[in-house]
Amino acid sequence: MIKFKINPLTQKKIKRFRTIKRGYYSFLLLSLILGLSLFGELMVNSRALIVSYNGKLYFPTYGAIITGKTFGLEYGYETNYRELRDKFKSSSSSDWLVMPIVPWNPYENDLKEGAFPPLPPDSSVGHFLGTDTTGRDILARLFYGFRIAILFSFLLVAVNYSVGISIGSAMGYIGGKFDLFFQRLIEIWSNVPFLYIIIIISSIITPSFFSLIFIMLMFGWMFMTWQLRTSTYKEKAREYVLAAKSLGASDARIIFKHIIPNTISVIVTFVPFSVASGIAALTSLDYLGFGLPAPTPSWGELLKQGTANLNAPWIVSSVVVSMILVLMMITFIGEAVREAFDPKKYTTYE
Amino acid sequence: MRLMLFLCFLLLVGGCSKEVVKSDLDKKIAAYVSVPIPIGDVKDLDGLKWETNNNDPVFSDSAAKKGGKININMSSFPLTLRYVGPDSNDGFRSYIDGNKMGLLGIQPVTNNFIPALATAWALGKNFNSVFFKLDKDAKWSDGKPITADDYVFALEFMLSKHIIAPWYNNYAEEFFEKVVKYDDFTIGIFTKKKHSKYEMLLNYGAGYVPEPKHFFLPGLDKDWVVNYQWKVAPNTGAYNISEVKKGKSVQFKRNDNWWAKEKLYYKNRFNVDVVEIKVERDDSVAWQKFLKGELDLFYLNIPEYWHVKSDIKSVEPFAKGYINKLWFYTNAPQPNYGIFLNLDYELFKDINVRKAFGHAMNVDKVIKTVLRGDYDRQYTSQDGRNEYTNLKIIPREFSLAKVDEYMKLAGWDKRGDDGIRVKDGKRMEVVMTSGYAHHQDRMVIIMEEAKKAGIEIKLNLMDGSTAFKSMLEKQHQIAWTAWTGGILPDYWQFYHSDNAHKKQNNNFTNTDDKEMDKLIDDMRNEFDDKKKQELSRKILQREFDLAVYVPTFSVPFSRKGHWRWIQLPKERGVNDKDGPILDPFVMGRFWIDENVKAETLQGMKDGKNFPPVEIIDTTYKRKN
Repeated sequence: MIKFKINPLTQKKIKRFRTIKRGYYSFLLLSLILGLSLFGELMVNSRALIVSYNGKLYFPTYGAIITGKTFGLEYGYETNYRELRDKFKSSSSSDWLVMPIVPWNPYENDLKEGAFPPLPPDSSVGHFLGTDTTGRDILARLFYGFRIAILFSFLLVAVNYSVGISIGSAMGYIGGKFDLFFQRLIEIWSNVPFLYIIIIISSIITPSFFSLIFIMLMFGWMFMTWQLRTSTYKEKAREYVLAAKSLGASDARIIFKHIIPNTISVIVTFVPFSVASGIAALTSLDYLGFGLPAPTPSWGELLKQGTANLNAPWIVSSVVVSMILVLMMITFIGEAVREAFDPKKYTTYE
Repeated sequence: MRLMLFLCFLLLVGGCSKEVVKSDLDKKIAAYVSVPIPIGDVKDLDGLKWETNNNDPVFSDSAAKKGGKININMSSFPLTLRYVGPDSNDGFRSYIDGNKMGLLGIQPVTNNFIPALATAWALGKNFNSVFFKLDKDAKWSDGKPITADDYVFALEFMLSKHIIAPWYNNYAEEFFEKVVKYDDFTIGIFTKKKHSKYEMLLNYGAGYVPEPKHFFLPGLDKDWVVNYQWKVAPNTGAYNISEVKKGKSVQFKRNDNWWAKEKLYYKNRFNVDVVEIKVERDDSVAWQKFLKGELDLFYLNIPEYWHVKSDIKSVEPFAKGYINKLWFYTNAPQPNYGIFLNLDYELFKDINVRKAFGHAMNVDKVIKTVLRGDYDRQYTSQDGRNEYTNLKIIPREFSLAKVDEYMKLAGWDKRGDDGIRVKDGKRMEVVMTSGYAHHQDRMVIIMEEAKKAGIEIKLNLMDGSTAFKSMLEKQHQIAWTAWTGGILPDYWQFYHSDNAHKKQNNNFTNTDDKEMDKLIDDMRNEFDDKKKQELSRKILQREFDLAVYVPTFSVPFSRKGHWRWIQLPKERGVNDKDGPILDPFVMGRFWIDENVKAETLQGMKDGKNFPPVEIIDTTYKRKN
């Protein structure tokens, strides 16, 4: 087992973070939701959790589809478990099944003749927040939309920071012409209107999850470089760097082993805000129709539907409330982190 | 300071010189003297059988009253008032075109040709010429007579490079041999290609309009598009532009001395004095203005508008009877909305896969649910074209059993773990290209239903023009798109092998079929209308047999809300796409009753209710 040795300074920071209740509880709650969403198929899904049919147990959630024929139905496509449940209930057999709390997946259209979507919330059929304009369950789309948005944002922050931090600290550490060159490059590059570029690109190709991350990375890495450049300039002049150098440490080792850990407070305090802005960016791109391709569940698309269908207030209200809550929690966490890492209370070198 | 003065001076000079150019052109136009043009060989006219038509039923209502003003809306302000040249091909153009008469008109119920600018017509011998006797009463809106010169000039105008309209240049070059004057009121049009009688009268009679030579010729030089950008050309129709507020509105005023106002088929039409078209960039704002009475008419074609936003039980102005609703069906040419399968894509080379595909598209479910049962299923690619449409064809219905049957024949009977069909390790996965973002709700339902049939459709939704470009490049596997077309179907561009496996043409299916080619060639070389129609029906049958096109939706109706004071003629529906009953320009059959208007406005003040009106007229609805 790997032994984690937490630096006493870090311990202090964590302690301090815990004392800031607002941020700490937001952190716990958000982690819980994120954790749950990773196993979302067990909670929000059209597939049953367990089916007992003719004395045999089935677990359809993960893995291959089970066709209707398996359960004595006529069709050869995936079983509609909601209908199967009703069939089991009405028949006297001992068969039973357990459905997830929300028995809908985010793609299927619940369309009935005579009732036109969007339909208002109705817990008897499992649409706790109603349906959207094509009869898809809003809670399911919100839930999976959240998962996609937050994972997208995490990944985006990770790549943005890796590139930004590497280049930024190289600029600070190497300095001279290298620094000058990248400064000018970043100045020019950051003046390219990001939104227009993305609109142009996505009108030519339909972006996928990863290509969208790549496009956003192209314009998102610059922010961290300025921060890191400054702090690296500052750190590089300190004695421990000189000491490492005289011991024969390589430049890469000095940057990644010595300088970056000492600038970590700068980096960490920005992370939560970057996550929040990543979610907001994806949502706004989806809202404008230039984000992830349909029919990917997305908050932006729900927001668009909601504002276009104000006579169906359950669409707009559910997505706006969830967005406010999630972004607020992330901001609280960010605040707490910033305070916990406040160098006025703690410094990393003494 | 000096510099400022100098700049002011420059501005003044600039302003003046511009003024001079403008009045120069006006002077030129005023001073224009008609130059005699050569006279055609009168022998052409020997032995012609002149026809006219004064026996068709009149389609206006004699109860119509003249007067009043209506307000309607457009979504953006036109970039020019020219009707040819750069930026002229926008929505506003239809208002100008609606006030340009052709040589012939079409009776909207019988579909027969009726006199318009010409009083009589005759066909030449070799299917390549047509002759017209012009109405001697006809006058431009500026009072000048319309003579044969204006028709001869119209072709010169279309051919002119100065109008910067390549489409017109090509069209005139490709189809017209010459337009000839015999005397001031007799002309002949000679065509490069041969045409059947109906085609000839439709394209060169109803479709040929004179151009005001005295107005355009004096300025027809390299600056034409600039100098005529905001000039209002004299026209032949009942209304012309009377006031332009740039960026805000355009007003059309009825010509009191319109030459045709007492003519048989034009009497009691075009009754409103003034039509004001206001710019409303946002639909929901326009809708609110309509509810307040600032706009008199509003399209209710979108299901939500008809069923929810204008519900006569709950929405006030409709429930109280201030605004009435009209839904009437037409049998007008429909755009060919559908899914085009690209035969160059390996999967669709197998006809059984294509047939299975046709049975896997659940169009009916979309119609019954999100479209609220309002729209119709498209039957063929040429619906609403009278005898040219094959009414016997019923598109493939959604049927999983039939999908299974055809897929088995094609060897695609196995399914993978995710329920999608597999064959030799390949999944049945198809990318659908489309530029219709507003159809997304329809597409996702079709995609979900196709999964039941074991087909995964992925959506490649692009901006409209980019999508069309990629389809022209034949990069699509399936394309969700449509073309609008005229009353005469043109199959060559869509299905002839001349256009298959090549880029930059409309054969999106890459259809390359000997039998289809023969039918299309036969139809092009046939000059008897009856036989042409029969061939058209055969081609549509072949289109069905080849299973290259899955028809989706058609909207064979027009729905509008109108304030109570707008009065409709007794016979409500006419079978016409461009001039549905509430269009002020093309048909102009309605009128405003000022008494009813006063009564309604007073009633609104007093809170008085009128009976709500919702008319659904199915006279011209397709019966099968």
